[in-house]
Amino acid sequence: MMLTRFAVCVGVVLTLGLASCGGDDDGGGDSGTDTSTKTQTAQSSEGQGGTVKIAVSVPAADHGWLKAVSDDAKKAADDLGDQVEFTMNDSATSSAEQADQIETLINGKPDAIAILPFEGGALTPVAQKATAAGIPVINIDREFSTPGAYRTWIGGDNYGIGWQAGNYFADELKCQGNVVEIQGLAGISVTEDRSKGFADAIKQRCQDGIKVVARQPADFAPDKGLSVMENILEAQKQIDGVYTHDDDMAEGVVAAIENAGREGDMFLTGAGGSKAAMDQIEAGGLYRATFLYNPTMAASAVNLANLIARGEPMKDLTEPEVPSRIQVPATTVTKENVADHKDLAY
Amino acid sequence: MTAPTAARRRIPALPFGAGRAELQEYALVGVVALLLIAGAILEPDTFLTSDNMLNVLRQASIVGVVAIGMTFVIATAGIDLSVGSMVAAAGVLGGQFADSGSLMFVLGAFAMGVLLGGVNAAAIAYGRVVPFIATLAMFTMARGLALWISDKTPVSIFNLDFVRWFGTGEIVGIPSAIFVFLGVTAIGWMLLNRTRYGRYVVAVGGNREAARIAGVKVQRIIFSVYVLSGICCAIAAILLCGRLSSASPVAGNLLELDAIAAVVIGGTALSGGRATIVGTFLGVLTFALIFNLLTIMNLAVEIQQVTKGVIILVAVLIQRKQN
Repeated sequence: MMLTRFAVCVGVVLTLGLASCGGDDDGGGDSGTDTSTKTQTAQSSEGQGGTVKIAVSVPAADHGWLKAVSDDAKKAADDLGDQVEFTMNDSATSSAEQADQIETLINGKPDAIAILPFEGGALTPVAQKATAAGIPVINIDREFSTPGAYRTWIGGDNYGIGWQAGNYFADELKCQGNVVEIQGLAGISVTEDRSKGFADAIKQRCQDGIKVVARQPADFAPDKGLSVMENILEAQKQIDGVYTHDDDMAEGVVAAIENAGREGDMFLTGAGGSKAAMDQIEAGGLYRATFLYNPTMAASAVNLANLIARGEPMKDLTEPEVPSRIQVPATTVTKENVADHKDLAY
Repeated sequence: MTAPTAARRRIPALPFGAGRAELQEYALVGVVALLLIAGAILEPDTFLTSDNMLNVLRQASIVGVVAIGMTFVIATAGIDLSVGSMVAAAGVLGGQFADSGSLMFVLGAFAMGVLLGGVNAAAIAYGRVVPFIATLAMFTMARGLALWISDKTPVSIFNLDFVRWFGTGEIVGIPSAIFVFLGVTAIGWMLLNRTRYGRYVVAVGGNREAARIAGVKVQRIIFSVYVLSGICCAIAAILLCGRLSSASPVAGNLLELDAIAAVVIGGTALSGGRATIVGTFLGVLTFALIFNLLTIMNLAVEIQQVTKGVIILVAVLIQRKQN
């Protein structure tokens, strides 16, 4: 009985193994299959009329920014219409899950793949795998740990957000005052860069004039922002400005300040460029500014994937290849220019 | 705990009259006192003020209400991993009726809490699914529902004055959320310690077979505690949304861990059969004080997390000694 069960298990495993070997281009030394795939790629990169296959992998949207990324990517694919055959995975809630999804996407043999990794470092191996399989990788936002893993990186300027914010605070506070910093998720490069940019800017402009009296993470979640800010409001009686790392999270921080009745004592800035933030900036009051980190970079990534898969250049550049690094600027949005940016808000 | 014979058909008295859970509660009172003293020394101007203490209690209300429900679940040797997601889902569904007024919001939230809690309850009590698995499934389902219904954007409830009053209003200078928390705690205490229902719950957790033989409707009891948990989540959702002035689909992330931790260090046994509402209340208070103190001290979040973990470990070790 045991032997029968064992034999069945071994049989199943062997069958699965043989099946996967059969579908694998690299395995078995079947040079015939290899050449034909290469020719196919060469043809599609020359062909203007052909359809290219583009795959996109982004993490599951647990906040507004990621949702906008997902929506913008889909819209870009829709706009490209028949030119692309589009596959999107946006349900992964962990690095491991996303790695599995990307492996499946690789097996579908796309002509290019755009990835916004859950964590850059953790997903670098699977990105390298895609690159080794001849699939150009477009890295969105959170960067992989080695340039060999991707063809092109497009992302926002986290350090730039911090830098712009620091300068904004230096101007608004005239280099004098207490500032509270509410970070996003502790330990990721996004947070580190946004903090460092801010710290460097206020150090350079004001030396020690502006003091960061509290710095706590709120995990990009509004309810965490609420409770963290409530406690900080108890601790700090004199707060002149609040620098938050994210517009969605800032909603909770705003609620805490308004509940305590202290919205007249300070001002607040966010990051990202959400619609709610822009509405409040336009109305004036507590929420004074936000710094763009536009999720439209995902739409651009889809378009880049299309160009790279076809071997086409970016239109107004002289070089015949798509650049390997594109940094979307972190624009300061205040009441003065909010009207210009409202239609790109998420 | 003595198992009754079939002939007697009476549920035995609660097992911790002998003072086991009481030691745990005294230990927790000591911990709370220690935290208050430490806070008074480390942050003299800001920690031990009435303003801050009310702030701590108000923050504790949200996880506290959930923890009271969790106490009943854990008392039956079950577990509910879905409470955080249920809070978000309840708030979001209520938010869909925001245009129809506060009452509709409250009803919507309760309906969602009862519905989701009911699904858990049915799966566990009648479907014989292990509580861990059933509520783990609900953990993702409820979060998905919350994101789906809200289209991943927070629903503003700025105009619902009644709901906002729960989050921000005051009665005689004390935040209304605290009254809700104390009220739920009192009802939970009476349910557990002064009604037959409470004894049945503990009996089912302590020795399910014996309880069944003694005539307790075991499946109904198990069903009821998960619905209770869902109702507590709805109450917590109203408090949270009132405070945030919006229903956020990403709220309540990891809330279940906080609730379970509070219940466990309070003295309620994860293996069931022993429960204390007072312990849960003190457990919730302990964690709220730690979070508050460490944030006021502006300590790095890593230190907060390590501290919390150490306290949970120590509390469980003390529990083992009592066993």
